[in-house]
Amino acid sequence: MSARARFQAIRSLHMNRVNSVKLSKTILAADCRQQVSQVKSEMQFLNTDLSLSSFTFLKVLHDISGLISPLFQSFRRFRASLASARQHLIIWQGTLKEIGGRFGTSVLSYFLFLKWLLKFNLFSLIVNFCFITIPQIVHAPNISSITGFRGLELLTGVGYFNQTVLFYGGYNGEVIVSKPAYNMQLAYFFTVAAYLVLCGVSLIYSMSRSFQKNFVLETGPVSGGAWRLLCSWDFSVVNAKAIQYNKNNLAIQLKVHTCSCLLHLSLHLLAWLLSLGLALGSGAGIYFLGTDPELAFSFNHDPSDLGAEASTLLLPVVVSLINLIVPLLYSLISKIESYSNPRTKIYISIVRNVILKMSILGILCFYWLNFVPNNISVGCWESFVGQSVYRLLIIDFIFCLLGIFFGEFLRNVIGTMCIQSLGVPEFDIARNVLDLIYAQTLAWIGIYFSPLLPVMQVLKLFIIFYMKKISLSMNCQPPKHTGRAAQIQTVFIALLFFPSFVGALSMVAFTVWSLKPSGQCGPFQGLDTPFHIIFNWTDSLPENHWVGWIFENILRSELFYYLISLIVLVITYFLWQITQGRKQLIKTLREGIVNVSAEIVRTSL
Amino acid sequence: MGNKQTIFTDEQLDAYQDCTFFTRKEILRLHGRYHELAPHLVPMDYTNDPDVKVPLALIVNMPELKENPFRNRIVESFSEDGQGNLSFNDFVDMFSVLSETAPRELKAIYAFKIYDFNVDNYICKEDLEKTLNRLTKEELTPEEVNLVCEKAIEEADLDGDSKLSFADFENMISRAPDFLR
Repeated sequence: MSARARFQAIRSLHMNRVNSVKLSKTILAADCRQQVSQVKSEMQFLNTDLSLSSFTFLKVLHDISGLISPLFQSFRRFRASLASARQHLIIWQGTLKEIGGRFGTSVLSYFLFLKWLLKFNLFSLIVNFCFITIPQIVHAPNISSITGFRGLELLTGVGYFNQTVLFYGGYNGEVIVSKPAYNMQLAYFFTVAAYLVLCGVSLIYSMSRSFQKNFVLETGPVSGGAWRLLCSWDFSVVNAKAIQYNKNNLAIQLKVHTCSCLLHLSLHLLAWLLSLGLALGSGAGIYFLGTDPELAFSFNHDPSDLGAEASTLLLPVVVSLINLIVPLLYSLISKIESYSNPRTKIYISIVRNVILKMSILGILCFYWLNFVPNNISVGCWESFVGQSVYRLLIIDFIFCLLGIFFGEFLRNVIGTMCIQSLGVPEFDIARNVLDLIYAQTLAWIGIYFSPLLPVMQVLKLFIIFYMKKISLSMNCQPPKHTGRAAQIQTVFIALLFFPSFVGALSMVAFTVWSLKPSGQCGPFQGLDTPFHIIFNWTDSLPENHWVGWIFENILRSELFYYLISLIVLVITYFLWQITQGRKQLIKTLREGIVNVSAEIVRTSL
Repeated sequence: MGNKQTIFTDEQLDAYQDCTFFTRKEILRLHGRYHELAPHLVPMDYTNDPDVKVPLALIVNMPELKENPFRNRIVESFSEDGQGNLSFNDFVDMFSVLSETAPRELKAIYAFKIYDFNVDNYICKEDLEKTLNRLTKEELTPEEVNLVCEKAIEEADLDGDSKLSFADFENMISRAPDFLR
């Protein structure tokens, strides 16, 4: 058989479902492997599937590639060695496989989310450390007052840490005399800005990829019996007990699915009122606690008073307690409601918890941005905000560990030994992921005020990963209503982007754009707003420098933004029309399938 | 590449790397596992392509497959003789398709074959009933099994022949992103 004929044979193998589509060398002769390997490489390269169109395309490619075959060979070898090298860099691969094998894909998605957040924080840490901290450490500023190190600093972040490079106050805005001159102000501003922009781009990219893969073509029955029967089995589970558990769940779900339930509208309304009331109440409580001037600022009057220092921990403890208790109340409230679809229940609980957490963060940010900068007794207000964020994160971490101990370990003991009917606790994915998102929002808010905050976040995520894994193995069982893990993952990524990242970004942007930096400390002392350094810098550039020209004529002119908005709107409209057209096409094709098969049946009779 | 292994020739390893989704180290590890299944049957030296097949009963005892409700069907679908006796090529093929790096379309093709118990290229109601019984370990009554299978066919069957062809199956899979992630 000629090479071309063999290639046709591969194609026909794909279409013919009697024999298996093997890509092994027993069926194909030696020189066919090249075509097969090209199939595979093109498949991986272009991310296409083994469809007819791609085969035709590959045939053309094959003809061309016969000429440059040796190049392809060495490229393939190089890619194979890259793939094996890359495997060494993946951390936790064995652990994640084990977790997936015992608990299934949805619980695994929590740990994958954690790993993804860890990457963000590691990147931030490296960037901040290299560009801001190291130059500052090398040229240390004059520290006015140093208090001795007492243990409480690790929790509160004040005292010894006050003037170190941990917080904004430890940096100054000198231009370091070296070759070339290193402007600390610009470095600080651009490092934080570049990191946030990169985060945003990465989040938008992940969100759109995930949305495209998981939400596309949601027409037709997607939660029906066919789906549940054929697509919902989690093949990554290999543990015998877990599989038995999944089997029981599937049986229950199929049974429940065959009956329909009534919606209790008034119960729903009551539940929503209660939830929103709780969220508002928590927000108001935190506001009054936070703005109580004695509590908040007493420490600044007397820096060596241990009692006052400890009292600064009161607010974070209250916030963490609210974050711990109110979601439990929410799950109690949701027990009185009945849902026709377990997925609705998860989504509603996610929405309520997000409202709670975002209202708490919103109140705190409002307080930090409106009251703190104008307060004279606070020396360096950015460091004060940085310390508040630091305290919130540490106390949140401690409460997370306590939550693992009490919520999972003790509950397991109670459930198995004392009150048998309670049973083993389920691993609540939504609540845990929302806790991660909350902590990450705090970390993003704190980046501007405390450049080395990612250190703590990285350590925290590492420890939480191992603690959760141990607690999971010892104490928990997989959640009963999994279903649609991929869609819930998209929702989590979207939540990480929309209230969390966008909120943190707007807060930092507001600080940089319109708040007056404190006059005695930090890299932006003496300026009206931190953004003025850009103006100063472009003024100091020589005439007709390209950066200055871009800044003056493009970024500062309104016409540019009008034009960009117009173009984006037009493109969006076009793409929307294309989507509508495709939906229509799919509908027509579906009707066509039915008509064709009806024809066949009719003509064969 | 400097590895002093004598199990495969370099060309063989290259061929395996091209035709499957595994790296060199993984292929050697797979050979180790294959050898462990039947040490007296499987030679350590594969340079001259020995024709050796490991029977079904030994393969379904692997820890990765032991608890899988479809282990027999999976092994049968990848075997050349349809009885579940896998040569090393079949073995590598099977794990390559089941691995995480294989594309979903390839997995869908094999999933269809696995669910098709009577190997007639259609998933009919009896196939669905067998699938359901494997997945729920016979906890549902026969009426419930009947009802679920009828509903499933009703929902997924597009061309109205009361059985699922590969096109119907693939259409349903494409709207289920959790499938075999």
